[in-house]
Amino acid sequence: MSDRAGRIFTGDEIATDTEVSAQVCIVGSGSGGAVLAYELSARGLDVVLLEEGGYFTRRDFNMDEGWAYPHLYQELANRATDDLAIKIFQGRSVGGGTTINWCTCFRTPPRITQIWRERFGLKDLTDEVLRPHFEWLEQRLHIHEWPLEQINENNKVLRDGCEKLGYQHQLIRRNVHKCANLGYCGVGCPVDAKQSMLVTFVPDAVEKGLRLYANASARRLETSGGKVSAVHAEVRDPSTDKPKGVKLTVRAKVFAVCGGAINSPALLLRSGLDQGGKVGRRTFLHPSVVSVGVFDREIAPYSGAPQSVASHHFIDRGPGKVGWFLEVAPVHPVLAAVSFPGFGEGHRDLVRKLPNLSAFVAPQCDGLLPDEANATVKLRGGSDTRLSITYDLRPEHFEAARAAQEEMAKIQFAAGAARVVTLHEDPVVMNSAQELGKLDGAPWERVRTKIFTAHQMGGCPMGADEKTSVVTPELRFRGVDNLFVVDGSVFPTSLGVNPQQTIFGLSRWGSQFVAAAAA
Amino acid sequence: MSTTNSGPRSPSRRSLLKRGLLGGGLLFIGGFTWLGTRGTQRGAPSPKPLSVLTDDEYAVMQAIAARIVAPAPDAPPLGDAVWTVDQLLAVAPVETQKEVKQLLGLFENALGNLLFGGRATPFTHLDPADQTRVLREWQQSRLLLRRTGYSALKTLALAGYYASPRTWAYMNYPGPPSAFHDPNAPVWKGGGQPRPDSPGVWKPEESEGTLPHE
Repeated sequence: MSDRAGRIFTGDEIATDTEVSAQVCIVGSGSGGAVLAYELSARGLDVVLLEEGGYFTRRDFNMDEGWAYPHLYQELANRATDDLAIKIFQGRSVGGGTTINWCTCFRTPPRITQIWRERFGLKDLTDEVLRPHFEWLEQRLHIHEWPLEQINENNKVLRDGCEKLGYQHQLIRRNVHKCANLGYCGVGCPVDAKQSMLVTFVPDAVEKGLRLYANASARRLETSGGKVSAVHAEVRDPSTDKPKGVKLTVRAKVFAVCGGAINSPALLLRSGLDQGGKVGRRTFLHPSVVSVGVFDREIAPYSGAPQSVASHHFIDRGPGKVGWFLEVAPVHPVLAAVSFPGFGEGHRDLVRKLPNLSAFVAPQCDGLLPDEANATVKLRGGSDTRLSITYDLRPEHFEAARAAQEEMAKIQFAAGAARVVTLHEDPVVMNSAQELGKLDGAPWERVRTKIFTAHQMGGCPMGADEKTSVVTPELRFRGVDNLFVVDGSVFPTSLGVNPQQTIFGLSRWGSQFVAAAAA
Repeated sequence: MSTTNSGPRSPSRRSLLKRGLLGGGLLFIGGFTWLGTRGTQRGAPSPKPLSVLTDDEYAVMQAIAARIVAPAPDAPPLGDAVWTVDQLLAVAPVETQKEVKQLLGLFENALGNLLFGGRATPFTHLDPADQTRVLREWQQSRLLLRRTGYSALKTLALAGYYASPRTWAYMNYPGPPSAFHDPNAPVWKGGGQPRPDSPGVWKPEESEGTLPHE
């Protein structure tokens, strides 16, 4: 164990340019970086972690979207593809996405690890290899199936509808302990019940010597002689989130980039490490359309554990088609207002029905078709601070969206919805299951219907083939000896399930390679 | 109501719009928006000082928000919604601020409307029905970049209005449950201090089985 006491520093505490050294420097404190920081600190390594976002805790988590989006989300929750076709919800604070996600846990589906082994040469990444890591994590993070008697009405709609139609469905396992079933996971858990990185592996690692710098935005990796020699970060003022003109430099033997899909590629690109254009390509988003069911009874979709039921009935739709899975989305006022279709009277009439709404999402399992390009992350021309994110939405994605929209409406009607509404700007409003055909007349085009993502993956794919992969099967960045990528950006495809547990597992498994390089 | 001669700032050809929020296509239109020469018609000024928007930009955003939000008679009025938009922009990157300003200029000015809608009147001079028609044109445009611009303005207007808890009653939203958030909860930063008790602290007795390590 390190002989110094671990510590969380915030931007207000760093008054002048500072240089620190460590055995390992990690960038990012989310599901990849926090698990890695803990595993390395527990092995006695001296670790420094840089987190761009702020250090916010349950003291700050007031369950108000107006506070949470600007403080806990990337780009004030306005991150999106350049054309605004896909709205990107991604975390940005100590704990990363785990601070604001909806606590849904799935092990990596065996069909995905099989694809990774067969198509990407990840021979050693078997379910048997991952299993002990998942078991350990499930115990530490109290990952357990949410009890049926506690599921909220929103999830009950999904369960009842699937039951009536004979569709596969299951209860979701959640990383919560002493959960008060409030429903505000997405804006920060006010009671520390969510077993986020913020309240588990981050403080666990600090107790073992980790030094974490919050409000420290890694701008560039300095390389020399085929190795990274330092990370250069700018310190931000916690009260304004603006750079305060103070630099923080970390020198280390080994570096691990754990900023998640989108931000990890961005840091590598800013550092000139683009691997001939591979970095940032093949980014997967689980693009999701939404179906809103209007009920005559109260659903209270803002209340109770946000996600407790899932259906994977349509995850494998056969060759040439994009599969999807179904979950519900909690509906809170600001999110509802900015997402709902149209403007003026029609818009506000739906907003007003908030307590009677059920909302389903259908995240698409993207990146499995042979020629999908998916999202590409680049630096926006002339700017060191802004990204360009584009997504190649193809007819296959809109076919999947159209089909998902129909199935979601069917399920909501089966569960008793009086009306089902799509999020097209000119919404398709169906008054019964007999009106599903109205979906055919809707425009399936970019920025005519809302598409969301809460799952960002890929951009630095792992693989055996150096022509297509950015990191080796041991998560080592190709061409730079002492640099690793340990987060969701290493996925060579999307998952078809919520990604946090896969990232935890890969990080715990991958920590052995980082530790060996640092020893 | 007063009419001023200083319209929203003309977007520059070399502007960040080039590869910004709205993609490359708007540059063409952006460079020519100053063909619309009539000034912006201002309504009531912002109830609080503005950080990012000019008075004219505020007036354009206010006119857009009035149509997008269109508060019902029994709903709270717009109030400081557009001031809230200004405050949201104040914490956004400078590039985003510039893009939104350019978008407001483009929206207010006439060339885009002349090209696409056959009309050369600034948005703030139109009556409400015509303003709604212009918004519909952008919303339904065959050009992706106009739909993108509409989407950005709509999101800003709705976020500015519905971010306020005063809209909760209209939405029939009860608000978050009380008695759970503790604004005085201790903040632990390590440094040898004992970690406060929390459900995040691992306690083997609270779990099934024992936790192997290493």
